[in-house]
Amino acid sequence: MTPDRGDVVYGSLGLLVLKTLDAVGPMHGYRLARRIEQISGNQLALNQGTLYPALLKLEQMDWVSSKWALSDTGRRVKVYSLTKAGRKQLAREEAQWQRSAGIIARFFNISEEPA
Amino acid sequence: MRRADRDLDDEVAGHLAEAEADYVARGLSPQEARYAALRDFGGVTQVKQVHREMRSFTLMNWLDFKLGGRMLVKYPGLTFVGGIAMAFAICVGLVVFQILSLFLHPTLPLPQGDRLVEIRLMDLEVNDEEPQIFYDFLQWRQSLRSITDVGAWRNSSPNLIDALGDSRPVAVAEMSVVGFKVSDGVPLMGRVLVEADEQPAAPPVAVIGHEIWRTRFGGDPNIVGRIVKFGNEDVTIVGVMREGYEFPVAHDVWMPLKTALLDQTPRSGPVVIAFGLLAPGESLKTAQAELTTVGRQVAAQSPATHQRLEPLVRPFAMMTSPAGDPAGGLILYSVYVFTAALLVLICGNVGLLLFARAASREADLVVRTALGASRGRIVAQMFAEALVLGGVAAIVGVIVASVALRYWGMGFLEANMGRLPFWFDLSLSPATFAVAMLLTTLAAAVAGIMPAMKITRGMSDRLKQTTAGSGGLRFGGVWTVVIVAQVAATVIFPAIVYTERIVVSGIEEFHAGFPTEQYLAVQIERDYAAFGENADAAALERNARLAGTLEELRRRVASQPGVAGVTFAATVPTTGGPEKLVEMAYDLDASGLASAKAAGGAPQANGAEPPFREATIAAVDPSYFDVLNAQVLAGRTFTAADAAPGSRVVVVDQSFVDQILQGRNAVGQQVRFRYPGKAPRPWSGGNADDPPGLGDWYEIVGVVPELGLGAPTRKGRAAGLYMPATPNLFVQIQMMVHVPGGDPMTIAPQVREAATALDPSLRLVSLQRVNEVNNDVLWVTNLWVRITLVVSSVALLLSLAGIYAVLSFTVARRTREIGVRVALGASPRRVIAATFRRPLLQVTGGVLIGTIIVFTAALQIRNTEMAGFENDLTLAGMAKIVGYGALMLGVCMLACLVPTRRALNVEPTTALRTE
Repeated sequence: MTPDRGDVVYGSLGLLVLKTLDAVGPMHGYRLARRIEQISGNQLALNQGTLYPALLKLEQMDWVSSKWALSDTGRRVKVYSLTKAGRKQLAREEAQWQRSAGIIARFFNISEEPA
Repeated sequence: MRRADRDLDDEVAGHLAEAEADYVARGLSPQEARYAALRDFGGVTQVKQVHREMRSFTLMNWLDFKLGGRMLVKYPGLTFVGGIAMAFAICVGLVVFQILSLFLHPTLPLPQGDRLVEIRLMDLEVNDEEPQIFYDFLQWRQSLRSITDVGAWRNSSPNLIDALGDSRPVAVAEMSVVGFKVSDGVPLMGRVLVEADEQPAAPPVAVIGHEIWRTRFGGDPNIVGRIVKFGNEDVTIVGVMREGYEFPVAHDVWMPLKTALLDQTPRSGPVVIAFGLLAPGESLKTAQAELTTVGRQVAAQSPATHQRLEPLVRPFAMMTSPAGDPAGGLILYSVYVFTAALLVLICGNVGLLLFARAASREADLVVRTALGASRGRIVAQMFAEALVLGGVAAIVGVIVASVALRYWGMGFLEANMGRLPFWFDLSLSPATFAVAMLLTTLAAAVAGIMPAMKITRGMSDRLKQTTAGSGGLRFGGVWTVVIVAQVAATVIFPAIVYTERIVVSGIEEFHAGFPTEQYLAVQIERDYAAFGENADAAALERNARLAGTLEELRRRVASQPGVAGVTFAATVPTTGGPEKLVEMAYDLDASGLASAKAAGGAPQANGAEPPFREATIAAVDPSYFDVLNAQVLAGRTFTAADAAPGSRVVVVDQSFVDQILQGRNAVGQQVRFRYPGKAPRPWSGGNADDPPGLGDWYEIVGVVPELGLGAPTRKGRAAGLYMPATPNLFVQIQMMVHVPGGDPMTIAPQVREAATALDPSLRLVSLQRVNEVNNDVLWVTNLWVRITLVVSSVALLLSLAGIYAVLSFTVARRTREIGVRVALGASPRRVIAATFRRPLLQVTGGVLIGTIIVFTAALQIRNTEMAGFENDLTLAGMAKIVGYGALMLGVCMLACLVPTRRALNVEPTTALRTE
């Protein structure tokens, strides 16, 4: 693990998975993990294994669905895709995230502004 | 579970392989690539472990059931009460399902049963079935293509006289020979009927059923070819059917339907029932379409008779189902709804208990929520607990239901319907088990999910409160209604049982006024219409001949040793006769009215409407009172001359003197019948076809004691009025044989023998001791007593458990408050009053409402036809009801004992430390 690569922000892996599936479309676990790492510009150190409990949780919430298929290399893999409910949840979480991030950003801006 | 593990293994392996391939493509050696892939993935074992735990946390799993099982053991009281209640609900559901299935979805246990249909004719004018369809049957048989093997049968019940000379009626189907084909009828020996037997000149033959062969012919292996007598006819037995064969409905003997000999004119032939098989590829719908077309053609040919007739087809077994008739179907379905409501009610109660239990575990549930358990998770767990309880209850319920159906189900149906069709089977089927599972799930859903939803509502809010389990949760208004209604029901049910017991003991102790155990009642049936529009000249002539036959039968039976006398009546004593409105001659003259008032009679409005006077009528042979050894209280009894047409004399009983004559001297009084419409014969049930002209005045010539003219199931003393007649004029002929020294049943074989020797066509349908004629009614009433007793017990049990649970819940909920009160020096009385005010008010309210309902019912019941409640509600009766209410209140308070003690034992220090 390289020192400059940060851990995934706590609790946000689900959101990353949903957004990635939304943007790129259905894909299997390894491809998903790689894609998240690539989108973060290799800034995120993902323990790829942790993706699976996260995917299970999303599946239990009925936000993603999965089915067995063959990968590009001909291996049997489980392909995940976003459900309708997942898409709605993503919209909700995204809005909330933007709001929180905006609020936090304002706080950081305080110090920069003249008193 | 294993499959999910395997899937995860596959998925992880796939992931690693993909990653490995990726690294190899980027230039690493396979070994290095493998290592890098594993490093990126992290701990494979841990991931699998977490995954597994998360999975186990999703749906209900076996751990929930295990926990549910542990709860059963941990709370044995709740398990017992809840289990019994649910078992009862499931048992009732199954019994109702099983019995209603016979009517709503009957199935024929025949290879072609699903294709067998009945074809009938509806008279649209009167909206009823037209029974005389023989002509139409012949048309259908000839023209229908979608229904093949069309046949018909007609019922008759002639006497079968067996080798020993025993003569009893048997159920005969005169049936088209195709009947054997469609019902897969295979003979045990000999042959079934063939077309040659149907020819007009063919010698009379019969095929007999296994049961008849065994019981009436001792299983004679040489029965085929024997000639036996059916009534007056000599018939050759050509075959014996296999055991259990009773097609078409419940028949013992089959004879050919000789169509050529029967009246084939439209709508006037014999009453037959038609059947057929749906041709391959045809459905009821297509068959109905063709039938309608054929029906129109027939109507065009004979518009006079068939203008308003419509042929209909239905599954064969539906002929016993009232579901075809909208009102009947509605009743059956409403029973389903009632049963479902009962199940929901009972399981709602069990839910109340589970709720109270869950409330005591609230802290635990709050902690689990904090640890991330979703609401669905907790609901699922409580559902699983209820399901375990329901599963145990279902096993008990199924066993009890099968026993109940086996021992009482068929008996109940037979008591109500007579001999049952061969397809009636009450043994448990796979469908029953499916229903049992459905009921269990429904029961668990009501008992588990409802309280779980309630208790988990706002759980996260409670999480924010400083203390868990100190407020929030409360029994709301709905529970109040449930508890009050339930306690009221608990008070009412035992009162119902008590009422039924009175009816039963009324039947058992009904005093007929003569030694009924010494008399044999023989019901004699004629199979032709002797009265009314359907009576033809031949029937009237036969009926006239019957007088001679009965007279000779009386002579022969009377000459048997041990017989003291033989007489006839239209009804057996203690079974109740027809009731008719009567008026007395003195009602109609003013002076008579005045004297009625003077004698304390009912006052009348303007003298326009005479007083309501109802008498129970019995037509009897003139010898009746002599054979019953009745004491003559006044005047005389009948002489043979009184039975002559035109004779206008009657004898009344003491009850008539007391109730209608108000103690007047009876002899010489004039009485007549008031008819609402056409004048029926006075002793008939009110048949409008009876000859008119009986509005004449009759003179009372004598008074006898009460001789059981009323029925024990009927209220009050019957005011008896006896009319003389010869037995051949009775609608129903009952011969009564007096055997003073010993059991009158011992004379039954001789009676049969005498009847057979005299006229083989004379049908003795039942022979029983007079003191046993009400046994059927008694059996059914007793069954009801048992059923209500069980319902009452379950209601009582649930109520007490419910009260107990509510109070325990209250104590648990308010332990802290009680502690504070005690610490501040409140007296025990005040503590109890403050804590239990609400639940105690609910219980008292329930008992009060129940008692008021019982009281009102007791006031109302005097106006009903129910037996045993003739007296006005006396002070003693009222005291009894009030005492009963107090007793029920006491019983309900018993359930408060333990929680009260628990509340009083609350130590302030302990209570305050629970925080």
